[in-house]
Amino acid sequence: MNLYLFQVVNGIGLGMIYFLISVGLSIIFGLLNFVNFAHGAFYLLGAYLSYTAVSITGNYWLALIIAPLCIAFFAWVCERTLIKRVYHLPHMYQILVTLGVALIIQELCISIWGPIGKSISPPDSLKGVIAIGEFYYPQYRLFVIAFAAVVALLVWYLLDKTKFGALVRAGSEDAETVSLLGTHTHRLFSITFALGVGLAGLAGVLAAPIKGIHPFVGPEVLGIAFVVVVIGGMGSFTGALVGGLLVGIVQSVMSTLWPQGASLMIYAAMALVILVRPYGLFGRA
Amino acid sequence: MNKKTSIFGGVTIIALALMVLMPILLPSVTLATEILIFALAALACNLLLGYTGLLSFGQGIFFGGGAYSASLVMLHLNFGLISALITAILVGALLALIVGALAIRRTGIYFVMLTLSFSQMAYFLAYTFSDWTGGDNGLLDVPRPALTLFGMTISDLQSSEAFYIFVAAVFAIVFVFSRRVIHSPFGTTLVAIRENEGRSSAVGFSTNHFKLVAFVISGAITGLAGALYAMLLNFAPLSNVELLMSENILIMTIIGGTSSLIGSILGAGSIVLMGDLLSSIWPRWMMILGAVLIAVVLFLPGGLWGGILSLTSKFPWKKVKTNVTSEVTK
Repeated sequence: MNLYLFQVVNGIGLGMIYFLISVGLSIIFGLLNFVNFAHGAFYLLGAYLSYTAVSITGNYWLALIIAPLCIAFFAWVCERTLIKRVYHLPHMYQILVTLGVALIIQELCISIWGPIGKSISPPDSLKGVIAIGEFYYPQYRLFVIAFAAVVALLVWYLLDKTKFGALVRAGSEDAETVSLLGTHTHRLFSITFALGVGLAGLAGVLAAPIKGIHPFVGPEVLGIAFVVVVIGGMGSFTGALVGGLLVGIVQSVMSTLWPQGASLMIYAAMALVILVRPYGLFGRA
Repeated sequence: MNKKTSIFGGVTIIALALMVLMPILLPSVTLATEILIFALAALACNLLLGYTGLLSFGQGIFFGGGAYSASLVMLHLNFGLISALITAILVGALLALIVGALAIRRTGIYFVMLTLSFSQMAYFLAYTFSDWTGGDNGLLDVPRPALTLFGMTISDLQSSEAFYIFVAAVFAIVFVFSRRVIHSPFGTTLVAIRENEGRSSAVGFSTNHFKLVAFVISGAITGLAGALYAMLLNFAPLSNVELLMSENILIMTIIGGTSSLIGSILGAGSIVLMGDLLSSIWPRWMMILGAVLIAVVLFLPGGLWGGILSLTSKFPWKKVKTNVTSEVTK
């Protein structure tokens, strides 16, 4: 029984990381109508940057702040120089260009950090376990859940309660009208892209002490992010949260029983959702 | 338009010339064989992407399916060369029928996502059923049977030169067949669907049937390529069904150019060659591939072949191309 509880809590942690990855992909698709196949690569880069930051400064907390900011800045540069040139092109071209970006980032990571994976340990203050009755659980994993939940709340507040969020939501409906009403949509687009990708970078940093850093994980992460976004509904915040948790828990519980089966299940679920309910569980038709 | 020139015209002559020149110019015949095998896969992908406008991440399913099925019937049922290849073609077509029938129910990004999810499912299935596929190790000791026709052994195909000639012959047949397909009324309808699906269906074409047939043809050719690849390597690795294989086939197709079948030879050739020459000098050559992919999409939408065509604009098959487009606009 305890084992299953353990797996479910693990799954919630994993699910929160999946949420952080997917919500960025989802917002970018919603506002910019842009398919970012480089999303998994940015996650990878975030994890590697945190590795370097930790090995230079020795401080995980610093890495947790610096690495996602660097990723967001890098994404902003990418958007200004390259991505904005493909907004008007069909999705097919966006996919191919970002596939190229993903390849470049992945190979860049391997040439800097080597083909063998890296690992970082959680900060000293979070190395122990917490005991709740008979149930022992690693502190760091609980921290990830709590931290991701706070970030989720902030993102929700940003999207739902602020002027920026209103512009993003209005832009998702009709970017041209928002532009005619006097908003610099290209600036809005850059910030949104940087924000969405920065969240993927943050997910990479949070996941690094748990899952390690492997140079070829990008496509796998991208695949899972697409599963989450499709199941939850493209462009939906709630969808990304519920979808992320669902996929995380399924993967975690199945991991001891039949890990490939879990992957089979989630991709089958993705296909099923597209065929039966293409706008996802929380998307609008 | 003179139909004869469109089928046996300049493009076919260039393809034949390339097939003769490649083993002479390249460092090894095996490399030339590999190029032709991937050119087959890229050509099949081109039928979907270039002529029907369908971006499929599922080509690896058919490639791997062809490789596994041909290997299995040769290993366990003692199938000969031709019957093993026919098995691969049928399995590729069947897999494409299943994937296609489901995927074409959606368009645009959802279509892409469906092919992506099927591709991932195929990978995990192949990984799970390791009794059949060898799992991570792949299927080992895949034979390369002798070529026999009417009970006569023509060649044992053991030398790499003999196998190259066989693969080249297969490629030539598929190439001419594919040119026939794209220049048939069926092929022009596919182009019409690519250009404007709504109007094509309004005119009365059942566009989904056309897309499905395109899928099946593409799957059959890709399955054949997979089988030949297994025979070349004497090995059917799990990487055949990985998403990366689908991506590679796609990238070859794009970089070569989607406006002509020749592009597929150029695309497969340049990437296989780049991999062979650069990987020993600089293992991270894929970085260049990423940059080339971006550059081609942004600046050279016709791919390498489109670039060559625009440099030499006096080529006779320019006319063929404009004919196709004008037929569409009519």
